[in-house]
Amino acid sequence: MSDNSRVRVSIVGVVIVALFGSLLARLWFLQMGPERALGAEAINLSTRTIQTESPRGRILDRYGNVLAQDRAAWAVTVDRNLGTKTHARVMGQLSELLGIPLKSLQAAYDSQRQSPLQPAVVALDVSLDKRLAVLEHQDEYPGVHVAELTVRTYPTGDRLGDPNLAAQVLGYVGEIGADQLKRLGKLGYQAGDLIGRDGIESAYESELRGRPEQVTVDVDPTGKQIGPPVKVDPGSVGHDVVLTIDARLQLAAERALAGGILAARTQKDQSVTDHYATLKAPAGAVVVLDVHDGSVLAMASSPSFPPSRWVGGISQADFSALNDPAGYYPLLNRATEGQYAPGSSFKLVASVASSQYGLRGAYEPYNDTGSVFIGNQWFYNDNHAVNHSVDLARALTVSSDTYFYTIGNSFWGTWHGGDAQNGLGLQTVAREFGFGSPTGIEIDEARGRVPDPTWKQSFANASYKTAFDREQNGAWYPGDEVHLAVGQGDVLVTPLQLANAYACFANGGTLETPHLGLSINDGKKVLRFISPKSRGGVSIPAAVRAQMLAGFEGAVQNSSGTAYPAFQGDPLAPNVAGKTGTAQVNGKGPTSVFASFFPANNPEYVVVALVEQGGYGAQTAAPIARQVIDAIANPNSTGSAVAPINLPTSGKD
Amino acid sequence: MATLTAPAAARRRATVSGLVAHLDVLVLALPVAISAFGLLMIYDASRMETARGGLPRFYYVERQGIAIVIGLLAMLLVMAVDYRRIRDAWPLVYAAVLPLLAGVLVLGRNHKGAQAWFQVGPFQFQPSEVAKVALVVAIAGYCHQHRGELDAWRLAVALALAGGVMAIVYAQHDLGTMLVIMVCAAAVLVIAGLRPVHILVLLLLGATLVGAAVVTGQVQAYRLDRLTTFADQSAANHIATVHQTPTQYNLKASKTAIASGGFTGAGFGRGLQTRNGFVPEQHTDFIFTAVGEDLGFVGGATLLLLYGILVWRLWRIALLSSDFFGTLLAIGVLAMFTIQVFENVGMTMGIMPITGIPLPFMSYGGSAVIASFVAVGLVLNVHMRRFT
Repeated sequence: MSDNSRVRVSIVGVVIVALFGSLLARLWFLQMGPERALGAEAINLSTRTIQTESPRGRILDRYGNVLAQDRAAWAVTVDRNLGTKTHARVMGQLSELLGIPLKSLQAAYDSQRQSPLQPAVVALDVSLDKRLAVLEHQDEYPGVHVAELTVRTYPTGDRLGDPNLAAQVLGYVGEIGADQLKRLGKLGYQAGDLIGRDGIESAYESELRGRPEQVTVDVDPTGKQIGPPVKVDPGSVGHDVVLTIDARLQLAAERALAGGILAARTQKDQSVTDHYATLKAPAGAVVVLDVHDGSVLAMASSPSFPPSRWVGGISQADFSALNDPAGYYPLLNRATEGQYAPGSSFKLVASVASSQYGLRGAYEPYNDTGSVFIGNQWFYNDNHAVNHSVDLARALTVSSDTYFYTIGNSFWGTWHGGDAQNGLGLQTVAREFGFGSPTGIEIDEARGRVPDPTWKQSFANASYKTAFDREQNGAWYPGDEVHLAVGQGDVLVTPLQLANAYACFANGGTLETPHLGLSINDGKKVLRFISPKSRGGVSIPAAVRAQMLAGFEGAVQNSSGTAYPAFQGDPLAPNVAGKTGTAQVNGKGPTSVFASFFPANNPEYVVVALVEQGGYGAQTAAPIARQVIDAIANPNSTGSAVAPINLPTSGKD
Repeated sequence: MATLTAPAAARRRATVSGLVAHLDVLVLALPVAISAFGLLMIYDASRMETARGGLPRFYYVERQGIAIVIGLLAMLLVMAVDYRRIRDAWPLVYAAVLPLLAGVLVLGRNHKGAQAWFQVGPFQFQPSEVAKVALVVAIAGYCHQHRGELDAWRLAVALALAGGVMAIVYAQHDLGTMLVIMVCAAAVLVIAGLRPVHILVLLLLGATLVGAAVVTGQVQAYRLDRLTTFADQSAANHIATVHQTPTQYNLKASKTAIASGGFTGAGFGRGLQTRNGFVPEQHTDFIFTAVGEDLGFVGGATLLLLYGILVWRLWRIALLSSDFFGTLLAIGVLAMFTIQVFENVGMTMGIMPITGIPLPFMSYGGSAVIASFVAVGLVLNVHMRRFT
């Protein structure tokens, strides 16, 4: 070999070393350098985790009646990424196969109730043969899938013929919202997942929600699953929530409320004097509490809605109807979220405060002349009635306003004299009874309002611009305290707060935390009981309590009692005690309120009924409460079917 | 004297045991070892493919195994003949391969853009793989005849020899193989004494031709795509999507697979991209990605090291050869393996354009395996007969 050739062969050697060296270097940087990040992408590309929601837990009433549960339903879904032509063809074929008009299918596909990110559910409860037709001819149905969905059903409501049963208590289940998803993403929620909205479904979401099944699969480049799953987390079914609600009593309460409202609409509105008008009575609520532990046995709110409307996503029409002011917002649980002036039912508070702060003894007579001049104006009893000499019991029975106006005025005088602590005794006792703050129930509630000078001034500061107006409207006048004593003016309570306050009185002064949950079960056994702590209470001297009890009994049982006509002829009447309330509302008919407990001598239950624009307390609310009390006393009764109930011919506050 | 004549006698009368004694064991063992390793990786990389197509699991492994056996037999056959007889018969070798190549154009089967196959029973035979080796023999033989006197005319003849084969291969739309042949021919010519001025002229001529081909649209779209993808990898740096050209997708998937291997790899059969069939053509041209993903840098570097040792031994044989033909032959084969390894491995890592060049002894493909073993046989032949 020539030297020249040797040199050239050596050069070839160098070139080879360079080539192999560059390959090795490239390999090193690709596998060990920043491009390693591609590795994580490889896992993303080639595995998918498929999450399937496990069935939600059931919601049961205290006797095990199933109020809400999941049911499996086979659905046909259509992908959203089909070409226009393919989509039209597929929908046409599906229409023929399923026997559903093409219009309906397309409407389901277009419906805003469905997530645009997920395949559209076009048909639910599809029979096996039709599912097979799709599955066996996948090539003819591109983008069409069969999926098992779980839908919420309401068996007890269906069985009892009331699709609205406990609607606001149960709440409903809907697709998770974008904002919720952001907050709850770390809990494993994914877009399109269902979540409890409102009511028990929302309050006990963490118990009811099953742990989703997670299946990790390998996929090929087209996203198709390869081989068996590489990891399966079977998840678990959600826990059952047992409620304190008694479905039978719930039904009775709803029927009584609905019937009472229907009846009220045929009654003359006596607050309208210049022409004949019937009561509007658009809405109302009923609460039944166990006085000993705050268990809610029934909680009705009217108007109502069938929670099943939300299954599979609510239709636009239904959603609009539920949010139409003309429909009076059926979604609102008026028992916990409705805020009303309690009217005379608030005399519970004034009665206790009057004796606690030494303003008037329980047996001390007061001469009720039908009117009283306080500050610079006259305050009158309802209808200017003159009750002559009344003690506390009598004042409650006949609902003497002047008796309590003067108590309010005395408090104001004390406050005006510089003793803010004693001068705001009404407010203190009101708060001890749980007014002005949330009751602590699991579901959404309003906090109500107990007005006091501080509140009034800050309210005026927020509402008025000039210092003069703020001072004029923010000052604490005698009328503020006088109105508060009879549950008028600025005081606001929820029916649940009112019921809980009467329960507090009925059980001897313990303020319980009202609750809807009784226990959490796993389907076989109780995991834990729900028994929230009581929240202090009110000390009521025995003599005062006896007088008040006599007054509440008299209101129902005594022929001069305000609620006497409503309970006339009821064999249970001797066992019922209660207080009517008729709260004036600016520009509207008065709110009809009745708060009662039963049996009177050894109270077990509190029943509160309230109807907006329902006239006198005795006129609409008391008869509704009577129906409910009848249902409590007769364990086989579910109340009468919804029909106007008998209302007393004469109404009183 | 007997002592003086003994080497001469040994030269003339080679015994089988004498030849075996001078065998370069590494050059024999490395291709066998790499082929065996290749079978393993073909199995790994073809599982998805066989499962999808409903083929037997070992379909590709079996066929490759048969090719390896045939290749080994062909190698032994080549080794049995004194390479000097092959050297002298170079015009015959060349003449035999031309009609084969040309025949493909007329009778061959079109396969993925390259019309380069004969259907032989259940097998496809790709003459261009054999043509690579044959051309190395032919040019080496021609240059040996005119050693040291590679003037312009003789160079023109040598270029014509190479050009004929390259033209037909190009006509088969097999640009990659054509480039490999060009590199092999160039390597042989450079060692054979190609003058610097000729090298310059050839480079300029080549550049002009390539430029003209691109400008006049003589290069098919998919080839341009391959070249531009290599040059601009930004598009390939995103997740493989339908918007990418097939080549972008290939490159992305290939790089992803290798990168995810890391230092020690996912373990044999565990690499997700490989197991789930993300890399197209993985058991053939992209076999290195399976090595990279499953066995990591350790596996990939080891394989490159094996090739490196093989190439080093070929280079050594070139230096030790007793005649000029042997040197040129060894250089030609060396160049063939080197350029194929560099191009193939390089394209999987995005430093070379994507072409259909197999990884010697590793990639699934019978013709290439057989041709590679034949080439190894020729070089072994040169080495073991260097004293005869």
